[in-house]
Amino acid sequence: MSSGARLYGRIQWRRNDGLGGLFVVLALFAFVYVILFPGILGLNAASKFVQGWFPTALVAAAETIVMLTGGIDLSVGAMVSLGSVVAASTMQGPLGLFGGVLATLALGGVVGAAVGAFVAIGRYPAIIVTLAFSFVLRGVALLLMPRPGGFVPASLSDFLAGVYPTTAALLVLLVVLWKLFQATPLGAGLIAVGDNAEGAYRSGVNVAAARLSAYVASGALQACAGLYMAAQTGSGDPLIGEPMTLAAISAAVLGGVGFLGGQGAMRGALAGSLLMSILINVMFFLRLPLVAQYIMQGLIIVVTIALPSVRAAFRRMR
Amino acid sequence: MTGALRRFAASYARSLVAYGVVALLWVVASWSLPGFGVYPHLRYIVELAAVIGLVGVGQTIAVIGGGIDLAVSAIITVTALVLPMVSFEADVSGLGAIALSLAVACAIGAVNGLGIGYLGLPPLIMTLAMATILQGLLVLIAGGSAISVSNATLDWIGTTHVLTISASILIWLAVAAVCLFWLHGTRSGALIFAIGTNPLASRLSGVPIRRLTLATYVISGLCAGLAGLLLLSMNGQGYVGIGDPYLLSSIAAVVLGGTSILGGGGSYLGTIAGAVLLVSMTALITVINASEGWRSLILGGLILGMLPLSGRDPSR
Repeated sequence: MSSGARLYGRIQWRRNDGLGGLFVVLALFAFVYVILFPGILGLNAASKFVQGWFPTALVAAAETIVMLTGGIDLSVGAMVSLGSVVAASTMQGPLGLFGGVLATLALGGVVGAAVGAFVAIGRYPAIIVTLAFSFVLRGVALLLMPRPGGFVPASLSDFLAGVYPTTAALLVLLVVLWKLFQATPLGAGLIAVGDNAEGAYRSGVNVAAARLSAYVASGALQACAGLYMAAQTGSGDPLIGEPMTLAAISAAVLGGVGFLGGQGAMRGALAGSLLMSILINVMFFLRLPLVAQYIMQGLIIVVTIALPSVRAAFRRMR
Repeated sequence: MTGALRRFAASYARSLVAYGVVALLWVVASWSLPGFGVYPHLRYIVELAAVIGLVGVGQTIAVIGGGIDLAVSAIITVTALVLPMVSFEADVSGLGAIALSLAVACAIGAVNGLGIGYLGLPPLIMTLAMATILQGLLVLIAGGSAISVSNATLDWIGTTHVLTISASILIWLAVAAVCLFWLHGTRSGALIFAIGTNPLASRLSGVPIRRLTLATYVISGLCAGLAGLLLLSMNGQGYVGIGDPYLLSSIAAVVLGGTSILGGGGSYLGTIAGAVLLVSMTALITVINASEGWRSLILGGLILGMLPLSGRDPSR
């Protein structure tokens, strides 16, 4: 093993710091879930579970990319809705299936670039830019499709949300693409910019380009989530993404991604979204009212985040 | 005298711009749309703005102090649901139930303040988690049905006019006056600006950050509770989701009013104009019969257009 590989391994291992608690909780809930519903280990049930998790995983990843640069995206839900609307209205037109998929992804990238231009070049606070964009995107989605409708070809629905484990493969693809992006100067600059923008600039990172690329990638992922949800339901819905903003931020925060940028890792956010997904399923099997998941989710967030500071406070007292 | 005036204009230039936009909008709309500029309609606009304005009191203080309160919408809903639940026969005036529901609102704010000030949780996380938990609890307790309530005090707020000015506007004005005096006229108010500008320097200079943070979120809870009362007096019933529109509009009002989202700068004076501006825009869009899609699009465009008022991040 070369020293470079060893260094890489050590750095990657160190990024698990603070995630131990989350992984233990996750393992615990996964265990409970398997006990309650042993059928989940079958291929069919497992791919159904992954399909339920996938949209949350996508938006959690999208939010994480932005949060790593020190930003935040409050327009996730609106973008997901818009993605679902555009996917369901372009695929039946002259563009066809592939044209529709490409159009949806391109739209996500363009919207991301617009948000990124305000944040990275205009230097306006991300929280207010994305708040404004959430209104704008919601308006556009409602104008394009005032009520649920449109159409997604059954072949696409079967391919993405059918009996095949396509979704799991896509999830692996997402992780691989993220790793590859991180290996590029722009991708490596992402976390550097979030951690210390001034320092990153002095080390030759193009700060504006790194931030802009984060918003473009994030926008494309959000559009993907919309496309996927359209494929799941077979139609577009201008409000389907509304709860996704909160879910995305919660998953990222659960996964140890910090609001100040530069802290956290994608694996944490994915684990966070997986935990939320398992939680919903476990509560469903325990016949608990679905809303109880909100209470659990909120409590888990507070406890996970507060634990280190409570421990520190105790240490100071002694 | 002119010196003091110039200093005032310089410090609150951003807030004053918002008043200018409101004035311009009102003049143009009254001139081109019959029925917009008549007194009862303008009064109705300000009545609706009172709800956003009251939520905006706490939001402004939280934002100036470098934080944010994402739990306000949940607190509004809690107040609007708890009040009908705790109403009892002997309490004819309704003051007992009102005091009780406002106490609940303050208690929620206090939990937020303790988590942020004493446990060191980021405001965004603490208040977001609080909102999530409350949302779940509310659906569990109240379910999907609306709960009606009526008592003497709520009726008084909903119907009384003093010199043709509605009681809800008067309540807003009173709270606004107290807020402005506290922020700009007292020592502890000035310290909120200090915390928002530089928390570390404030702590090292002996500013009681923890206590002031606690106070900030208790005030925010109380103001959201008052807004819930006003909503209840207008609607006559509370239901889950009644407060939802007020989270984003309270933040938008703060930003439109020129308070820096980065903390440390701004004034409640601007938030007042921001709240009126938001409601006026919505009213205008309703008058010209635009669909919900256009309304959302125009509101978003408005916030984007007024971004230069909200302050910019450092160059890197």
